[in-house]
Amino acid sequence: YQMGVKELLGLDKLAKLATTVQKIGGLRAALKQRYLMDVTRTGTLVGEDKFGNKYFEDNSYFMPRNRWVVYPDRVWLDYDATQVAPEWHRWLHHISDETPTTNPPKNEKWVLTHEENSSIFPDKKYTPYATGRTKIQGWKPQ
Amino acid sequence: MALRSGIKLSGIFSGRAVVSTPVASSRSNYKYVGMPAEKDGTLKGDLDYGLNNVFFTELFRGFGVMLGHVFMEPATINYPFEKGPLSSRFRGEHALRRYPSGEERCIACKLCEAICPAQAITIEAEVRPDGSRRTTTYDIDMTKCIYCGLCQEACPVDAIVEGPNFEYSTETHEELLYNKEKLLLNGDRWEPELAANLQSEYLYR
Repeated sequence: YQMGVKELLGLDKLAKLATTVQKIGGLRAALKQRYLMDVTRTGTLVGEDKFGNKYFEDNSYFMPRNRWVVYPDRVWLDYDATQVAPEWHRWLHHISDETPTTNPPKNEKWVLTHEENSSIFPDKKYTPYATGRTKIQGWKPQ
Repeated sequence: MALRSGIKLSGIFSGRAVVSTPVASSRSNYKYVGMPAEKDGTLKGDLDYGLNNVFFTELFRGFGVMLGHVFMEPATINYPFEKGPLSSRFRGEHALRRYPSGEERCIACKLCEAICPAQAITIEAEVRPDGSRRTTTYDIDMTKCIYCGLCQEACPVDAIVEGPNFEYSTETHEELLYNKEKLLLNGDRWEPELAANLQSEYLYR
């Protein structure tokens, strides 16, 4: 590997930064990405799910970093890992290389829409209850 | 006093002895892991040591290392945007699955309840009006569960499975006492991935 003048002065890195910022969509978009995601990076758009999450891939990064999700602007800073749809969860976690766009799952009609972890919403908390019938009957005096 | 013979005083300014030769000639194959010698005893070595001290070169070399690390690719992943690799056999949150017709799979054989080493599963069963045997109660105490996966291995109809979801943390303890409805709901929501994970293991099941 020959280091030219560009590489010695780090100009190739600056050029890479400029193209990355350009691909993100300008300085404002890059700053927004910095604010929301703490990174400046672009990749190939692999797909989008019905919640508006966009899935990107760039295999020049090492393995767990090469796939990422961009949450929609609607959630802003309230992004959560559980907002990822189960179809894409498999791809994002590197369980499989297949995406729902290349290999759509056969969904039965009883399959429900995914929901994020709702434990922090007081009105959406799950409260356990008995599903069976009670075995003890109260005594009613005559 | 054989030890002393291996030590020589180095430099006229230092009162500290520096080990530079092996202790005994018969044992030469070892590595010295103590403080490395800062001076080699020559005048040039003393001068270098003094100049490095006067001009804080160590400090600037440290800054250089720090600057290099600022531009280095991080070895960490940016959760929740990037997520770590999982196996298709990952044992996470439980779910009760359904047949493609929509009928629940669980036949209340209670094998999972029997094998559960933490005794986290409680099942009660009744015969339904159509004559099939189903559970009325299927409770899992997720705080008792040790996620060993024996329940899904015991299940003859693939009804109870441990899904790939591990992000079900709650604010209270009672939210982790899952009943049948909650487990079926998990199954209905995660079925695309549950089915795909089971499918990818078909050679080994």
